[in-house]
Amino acid sequence: MTTLSAGSTSTDVAGRTRPATRWTVIARYELMDLWSGGKGLSILFGFTLVLSILAYLASADAGINLLDARESVGLLVTTSIALGTLGAMVVSADAISGERDRDTLESLLVTPVPRRHIVVGKLLAASSVWIATLLVALPFAAVMAGGPGVMSDAVTVLVVSGSLSAAALTALGLAISAVTMSNRTSLVVSLAVLLALAAPSQLPAVRSSTTVGPILIKLNPVSASLRLAENVLVRQEPWPDQLVYFISPALAAVVFTVVAIRLAGRLELGGSR
Amino acid sequence: MAVTTQDLSVTYGTVVAVDRVSLQVERGSICGLLGPNGAGKTSMIRALTTIVPVAGGTATIVGHPLTDPVAVRSSIGVLPESNGYPGAQTALGYLRFYGQLYGMEAADAEQRALQLLQQFGLSRGQARISTFSRGMRQRLGLARALIHDPAVLFLDEPTLGLDPAGKEEIMVELARLAVERGTTIFLCTHLLDEVERICDQVAIMNHGQVVAEGTVDEIVDSSGAEGFARIRVRPEDVPVSDEVLRGTEEVRAVRFDNTRPGDLVVTIDNDHGAAATSLRALLDAGVEPRSFDFRGARLSDAFMALTSGRAGGDKVTEGVSQ
Repeated sequence: MTTLSAGSTSTDVAGRTRPATRWTVIARYELMDLWSGGKGLSILFGFTLVLSILAYLASADAGINLLDARESVGLLVTTSIALGTLGAMVVSADAISGERDRDTLESLLVTPVPRRHIVVGKLLAASSVWIATLLVALPFAAVMAGGPGVMSDAVTVLVVSGSLSAAALTALGLAISAVTMSNRTSLVVSLAVLLALAAPSQLPAVRSSTTVGPILIKLNPVSASLRLAENVLVRQEPWPDQLVYFISPALAAVVFTVVAIRLAGRLELGGSR
Repeated sequence: MAVTTQDLSVTYGTVVAVDRVSLQVERGSICGLLGPNGAGKTSMIRALTTIVPVAGGTATIVGHPLTDPVAVRSSIGVLPESNGYPGAQTALGYLRFYGQLYGMEAADAEQRALQLLQQFGLSRGQARISTFSRGMRQRLGLARALIHDPAVLFLDEPTLGLDPAGKEEIMVELARLAVERGTTIFLCTHLLDEVERICDQVAIMNHGQVVAEGTVDEIVDSSGAEGFARIRVRPEDVPVSDEVLRGTEEVRAVRFDNTRPGDLVVTIDNDHGAAATSLRALLDAGVEPRSFDFRGARLSDAFMALTSGRAGGDKVTEGVSQ
């Protein structure tokens, strides 16, 4: 029997501490570290700056009839999804491998907190970056939409499709962070994966293809989200035909989250002896 | 027993870091784990703290086997060798967070954190850790390891990078913990003087194996480490003293101190009897030493003897001419 004597510690009869809500403790701590430490605010500032410049240029173009409101909003929404997802992924890719590099992981791993609680807490904290960027993007979309119809489409795409895409890549970044032994490797691999996923929707050959191209875009969670935004906001295609573009982001969000949590069981300190 | 290991092994691929180590550490004692760099000390601690998997053997911490990591982790506090700190956090927030990870309510964790901050002289609990000196961070790390009042404390080089005063503070605190709270302390360090002073038990590792275990005296006695005597004679008596000492069975080597004419540094067997025999031989030869200072083998001598393969060597009698 353990001789633990911390009187206020929640222990069961076997002397074990109860891990029931440890992920909330981790999430709160990580959130504080992310936002009071300045990293989250820096990402948000950069995001807001890009969106402001984009909004200004789009408005100016609209003023001289080079870009209509739907195209402006489409550009803003796709940019918001891409950059917001990037921000959340960068934070999640740093979440575990960064702790390894900063020598703070060992102290965490010797606590009785289950590994999956550590991963879930960090996942939630990293997801806050997407939520923050979403909250910044929504007013921009509302102002640039110029009408309730476009605005509701833009909000739906951002909230549903963008969130699914961001959730998928945040979990993927965390999974990469869990298995890579250096922070640099984790960040490089995560960014490479994001680029590899985002690129197909931008390649002329894929865009113009009528056979393989659409399948590739629908299978890819990032390109599916970007294409959905373009189809709904710019091409004004009806919603029922676009629901297929939700499938891969939703599946990816579930699969990558499960993978990240399962990898938590194999969370290792790594590094030197 | 607080810590027991039986044939514990740790491997990294084909490299054997810890090789069938068997140890027993009593509750409330301070056990010094010594060894040269790469001896396997950190791997041993990481295995006992469930950070790295064991390749073979068994171990228990206050009765909990390593196969029950949650119970083990609830019973131990750990200050790793390379312990990083979140610079943006306050010391109070950092300790409170770890308290909550061990199951404390937020208010209780804060109370315990404040108590530890006071105990370790960290009055700036609301200051960011990035503003802390190295010594303050080490004390904060120790406070963090104690947040849940663990039964066993694993400390890997807790005084690394500290000034003498900082080292002394940490060592005093460790001794107090063991005596007053009955905390078992597993201390991995290179500070042999401090180990001699505060450790009840010592284990010396080399090449992944425990090459000596016991109290400091037991280890020194069993190591074959040699004692030393500094003998000062009149300069004109040096040749005859050299000859007499070389002819004494207990003397292993004679060396002259070129900076102090008349001083001889004599390596002899590690007991006072050998020292007395050497002194008697000089007196019988008509040499009257001006001083005779015998220093028995210390833990550092035993450490060197046990880890450099020089233990129990053949008698060497040599003289270095002036």
